[in-house]
Amino acid sequence: MNAEPHHAKIVQHMRRNPPIEGEAEAISRAQAGDSKAFETLYALHKRRVYSLCLRMLGNVAEAEDLTQEAFLQLYRKIGTFRGDSAFSTWLHRLAVNVVLMHLRKKGLPQVSLEEALEPSQDDGPRKDIGERDLMLSGSIDRVALERAVENLPPGYRLVFVLHDVEGYEHNEIAEMLDCSIGNSKSQLHKARMKLRDLLRSGERKESLV
Amino acid sequence: MSSRNHQQDKETMNCAEFQAKLPELFESGVDVSNDPHVKSCENCAALVRDLEYIASQAKLLLPIHDPSPKVWENIQSAIRGNDGPKEPVGAAKRL
Repeated sequence: MNAEPHHAKIVQHMRRNPPIEGEAEAISRAQAGDSKAFETLYALHKRRVYSLCLRMLGNVAEAEDLTQEAFLQLYRKIGTFRGDSAFSTWLHRLAVNVVLMHLRKKGLPQVSLEEALEPSQDDGPRKDIGERDLMLSGSIDRVALERAVENLPPGYRLVFVLHDVEGYEHNEIAEMLDCSIGNSKSQLHKARMKLRDLLRSGERKESLV
Repeated sequence: MSSRNHQQDKETMNCAEFQAKLPELFESGVDVSNDPHVKSCENCAALVRDLEYIASQAKLLLPIHDPSPKVWENIQSAIRGNDGPKEPVGAAKRL
């Protein structure tokens, strides 16, 4: 599941970071202090930055605050962008750092990460072994998955969003979250298991209606 | 462990043992659906398919949410309040 062919990674990267017409010019002009160009960059990237914040935080008010903070940091730092990576990659890493800084200030990451690493009923080998296990069978839609991601515990959600949604590697996540690569891998697996439970319980509820 | 013993170990693995090894198997890049235990266990096969399906669907989650207009208003206000837009002298000419 994790050993994607290199071209698949490139395809995913291109899908998430398609070349944007007019972006390069807007960057140059914003670097020169053109406020209209900065507004253009905001219009081009607000949706992805906000969606990233919202998925990582699971809270609209906080996500809006941190979107605002990320773009204010962008305003201050845009002069340091040298084009070594795609602008969107650079901006999204900046936004991830803003969110993580916020979580560290709140003291949440340590708590949630440690909690997530504690064995619990959700984490060990499944207790329903032997019970007939219904498969999701391609029936979930993206809205259901979005909702399930929102309901993940914060520690799981961070790693799942960073790895499976945003496409960061475990070594990058370990560095960002100041945890081991093993912890990142372990939490990702637990997050997927928890999502499966959430999605299956959602399916059961729907089938009862 | 010899490869033969390793193979025997895989074949005799029960569900709990298999599921305990699952994170490692996924991250190793092997095709988990070809694991001997998966081939003989309907429950674990369903589990593997579901986890692979979740991971593949997550990649398709695109940004769908927009921030409220208030966010841009606040950004503009903060920029003006701090140091104001820096309009370079030659900006009009370049535009």
